[in-house]
Amino acid sequence: MTDFEFPNFDTMTPAEFESCLPELFANSNGSVSTDPRLQTFLRNNPDCAALVRDLETIAEHAKSLFEPDYEPSDAVWDNIQNKLRQEHPGENNHPVPAKP
Amino acid sequence: MDLQGQSMTQMHPMKPAPAIFKRNPPIAGEAEAIERAKNGDAEAFSRLYALHKRRVYTLCLRMLGNVSEAEDMTQEAFLHLFRKIGSFRGESAFSTWLHRLTVNLVLMHLRKKGLNLVSLEETINPSDEDTPKRDFGSRDMHLAGSVDRVALERAVALLPPGYRMVFILHDVEGFEHNEIAEMLECSTGNSKSQLHKARLRLREILRRSEGPAPEQQPAQPAFKEAAL
Repeated sequence: MTDFEFPNFDTMTPAEFESCLPELFANSNGSVSTDPRLQTFLRNNPDCAALVRDLETIAEHAKSLFEPDYEPSDAVWDNIQNKLRQEHPGENNHPVPAKP
Repeated sequence: MDLQGQSMTQMHPMKPAPAIFKRNPPIAGEAEAIERAKNGDAEAFSRLYALHKRRVYTLCLRMLGNVSEAEDMTQEAFLHLFRKIGSFRGESAFSTWLHRLTVNLVLMHLRKKGLNLVSLEETINPSDEDTPKRDFGSRDMHLAGSVDRVALERAVALLPPGYRMVFILHDVEGFEHNEIAEMLECSTGNSKSQLHKARLRLREILRRSEGPAPEQQPAQPAFKEAAL
């Protein structure tokens, strides 16, 4: 729930629309363009519709970045092992993992 | 120490984060590796590192934009994991817990570097000059067919740090605005506003990159290499 007060969707200006876009996106799970309350406004304001479409495209494509692209160098694992050895010198039973 | 204490609290979320849980389904063999690692099984910890190193490193790299710092923070994240895995209670997906732990470490690192609460707020709230200009754009030019993963990755790397942080946490990692507000110590309204500005800025960058390519401009890496 939000305390945000939305303007009248039937009479709002493009500037009012933009000012409430962050809340609209937050409340619509990212799909503002399908909000039934906005269909008339978006039809009458194609530039606003284009803005919404672009922002939805960006948000949608952002999900593809969740899958990792990059891999740390082997030095990271070596450093982890060294740190653990330094933290627990002489503790033979303390696990120092082998290379994965 | 306050930050550390707060961070430790945040490392043990009491309630699941549904959005993250959906995007972090359990990995085959992970639950068993966690239990074995809790009991000090070195091979199990090694397995957890192998399963999660790329995701943790990619998260660090995107948040920091620097290879050297990202590797340092990846190392710290797994050292923390090694020390604290006994406190993982399975109330959220393991990767959710690990990512939250990582985000908190990176934020602590940034604050130690000088981005304390005040300057972090400044970073999150860039000056008006830095705010994306209102531009609804033209109808015949839209991004749907031109955005790809590589272009978006490069554009994200160009965002101001405050915008980039919120965009990565929300749109890439799937954290909710209330979670981001807690992590960044700002209001949920601020988080929503910064996310919107980040998307507007990305739109600007991506549309600019759609124009004619500058002559003989070499491809730029998305992230800085390690500082010498």
